[in-house]
Amino acid sequence: MSEAVLPMSATPVATSRAPTDWNGEAMRRRIALRYAAERRFRLLGLCAVLISAGFLAFLLISMGANGARGFMSTQIKLPVDFPRSPIMIDPAMLSTNPDQVLANANLPQVIESSAQAAFGKDGDDYISSGAVAALRKAIIADPGILTRKVTITVPASAGIDLAAKSDGSEADEAAVVKLEQARALSTGFNGGFLTSSDGTDPTVVGIWGALKGSLLTMAITLALSFPIGVFAALYLEEYAPRNRWTDIIEVSINNLAAVPSIIFGLLGLAIFLNMMHLPRSAPLVGGMTLALMTMPVIVIAGRNAIKAVPPSIRDAALGIGASPIQVVFHHVLPLALPGILTGTIIGMARALGETAPLLMIGMRAFVASPPGGITDPATVLPVQIFLWSDEVGKGFIEKTSAAIIVLLIFLLTMNSIAIYLRNKFEKKW
Amino acid sequence: MADTATTTNKMTARGVNVFYGEKQAIQNVSIDVDLENVTAFIGPSGCGKSTFLRTLNRMNDTVASARVEGRITLDGEDIYGSAMDVVQLRARVGMVFQKPNPFPKSIYENIAYGPRIHGLASGKADLDQIVEKSLRRAGLWEEVKDRLNDSGTALSGGQQQRLCIGRAIAVEPEVILMDEPCSALDPIATAKIEELILELRGNYAIVIVTHNMQQAARVSQRTAFFHLGRLVEQGPTTEIFTNPRKERTKDYITGRYG
Ligand SMILES: Nc1ncnc2c1ncn2[C@@H]1O[C@H](COP(=O)(O)OP(=O)(O)OP(=O)(O)O)[C@@H](O)[C@H]1O
Ligand SMILES: [Mg+2]
Repeated sequence: MSEAVLPMSATPVATSRAPTDWNGEAMRRRIALRYAAERRFRLLGLCAVLISAGFLAFLLISMGANGARGFMSTQIKLPVDFPRSPIMIDPAMLSTNPDQVLANANLPQVIESSAQAAFGKDGDDYISSGAVAALRKAIIADPGILTRKVTITVPASAGIDLAAKSDGSEADEAAVVKLEQARALSTGFNGGFLTSSDGTDPTVVGIWGALKGSLLTMAITLALSFPIGVFAALYLEEYAPRNRWTDIIEVSINNLAAVPSIIFGLLGLAIFLNMMHLPRSAPLVGGMTLALMTMPVIVIAGRNAIKAVPPSIRDAALGIGASPIQVVFHHVLPLALPGILTGTIIGMARALGETAPLLMIGMRAFVASPPGGITDPATVLPVQIFLWSDEVGKGFIEKTSAAIIVLLIFLLTMNSIAIYLRNKFEKKW
Repeated sequence: MADTATTTNKMTARGVNVFYGEKQAIQNVSIDVDLENVTAFIGPSGCGKSTFLRTLNRMNDTVASARVEGRITLDGEDIYGSAMDVVQLRARVGMVFQKPNPFPKSIYENIAYGPRIHGLASGKADLDQIVEKSLRRAGLWEEVKDRLNDSGTALSGGQQQRLCIGRAIAVEPEVILMDEPCSALDPIATAKIEELILELRGNYAIVIVTHNMQQAARVSQRTAFFHLGRLVEQGPTTEIFTNPRKERTKDYITGRYG
């Protein structure tokens, strides 16, 4: 009892077509057009790459030119004659409690009188307020100098510093000429810029406070957003049932990634500060606020990376009796990790450069000492840049550029570590 | 242990229906799988052989739209029952997939992974031994013994398929489901796999899906012919091939229907 066989393609295809002429004029034109289109495409791509490389080079060169000066400082060799100076010190006490003794030793007067003696009545204007610290260090290093006349290298004032770098007022230019004739000027690497914090005098300010603030804030951000983001992505992809609730969560997370950062600042202000009463201006709150912002980026990148793991790998693992958890942690996560790390790089880089939400939670305060922990008041690099760029003092311009260079180096270091990790995990497979 | 002289039903399926959403892919299939006889599933493409095979180790659980009705037992125990641990079930009922799917790890790791997660090896040396034995049985050892640390995905398609076979038998399952294991293999490798099947027969229950009638005739003792989601005919292989009861089976086997 044979049954109806499946329908075959019965109607014959239309006949009487000329055979394709693969060498004809029309074909050659098509080929020429295709080549032209490919050339055009390559050219456009090249243009795009050149334009972006050009912008990057412009940015780096202008930053480098301005910022390099921020890392250098002008110094003055100041002769100090301790026995004749108005110093008030008891050498016997110096060894037991140097800090207090020196704090009361009238050092600013010593500097002022020494400078006036050496460079005339305006002499003390040439010297930066940072000179006191230099003097203190010299005394502690060798208390013996208190009995002699010595020459101490101290930082020059902002005006002299600018004039020496050929950008100062007329009076300062004249002073520089005078100092150069006296062979009292020198230029050196400004080590203080990397070790001190914000201040009012541009010759003594440093980036360390903001750098440490950024480090602590980023650490908090990473510690919160990476595990939460990865686990959220894993849960949503691997375990969550497909229903309206997961759809709502998915839409919310996608929208969260697009919310302007200042809104996160307001959220942080309302929840972390006003409701939970966490300390103001602290890296803890800054990191938590930025984690809110970074997490959706990691979740989205993570979900895409997890989705991209071929289902055949899951089948293979399940097929030999791996448990769902083993499938995730032995196969899916390692394969998805490079993609997750890419998302993390993007999210963290954005968080590092973020200013607006941190302003909302009070991280724009003037903080003159580096934070000791995550609950101490602190500022971060981009906010420090913002604050300095707002300063009237001319000496802050190059400090702003120098801070930007520090920020960029921080960013590069962070990204290099992430890319190194990513490549390492890619190679493992 | 099962006595190989008497036929022991390792797995039985009764009245199995499988749906993908609204669409029914398997209709009322009942079949037995035993240790003594290798069972071959034959039938035209798209008739549901893979779908039915995947119900036997519950791999259809991973397809969100799939729904299975009916009763399937392993050693008398309902594998869709609440007492069945699906992870252990899949270790006991191993599977070789239609498309080779090695892990993107080393050849060694591909084989060692299963024994390791089930705690089958008592040490590094033991594990080495399992890996070598599994690769030898899959007919791959001679080709890869000097590069066990190379990636499994760098092998040729046929070598990958043998790696997957080695991976499946490394966990020593009780039942082995093979979905067209030789479709990507040359005649020599195919012969090795067929030898392996003959060697495993009696200790393991084996089901093999194949489009190659000669292969079905060579390795199987029982054959089931599927058509459009139905089990048209099943019986001893010699009978199905020499004296099919149904016209459609005869048409398929003689090549009048493809
Ligand atoms: N994941 C799925 N979702 C929906 N339908 C499916 C799915 N997998 C298979 N099907 C359908 O079920 C039917 C049986 O498919 P199956 O893969 O079991 O066929 P097969 O007999 O193994 O074919 P082949 O010999 O080509 O491998 C087909 O019509 C197919 O379209
Ligand atoms: Mg199939």
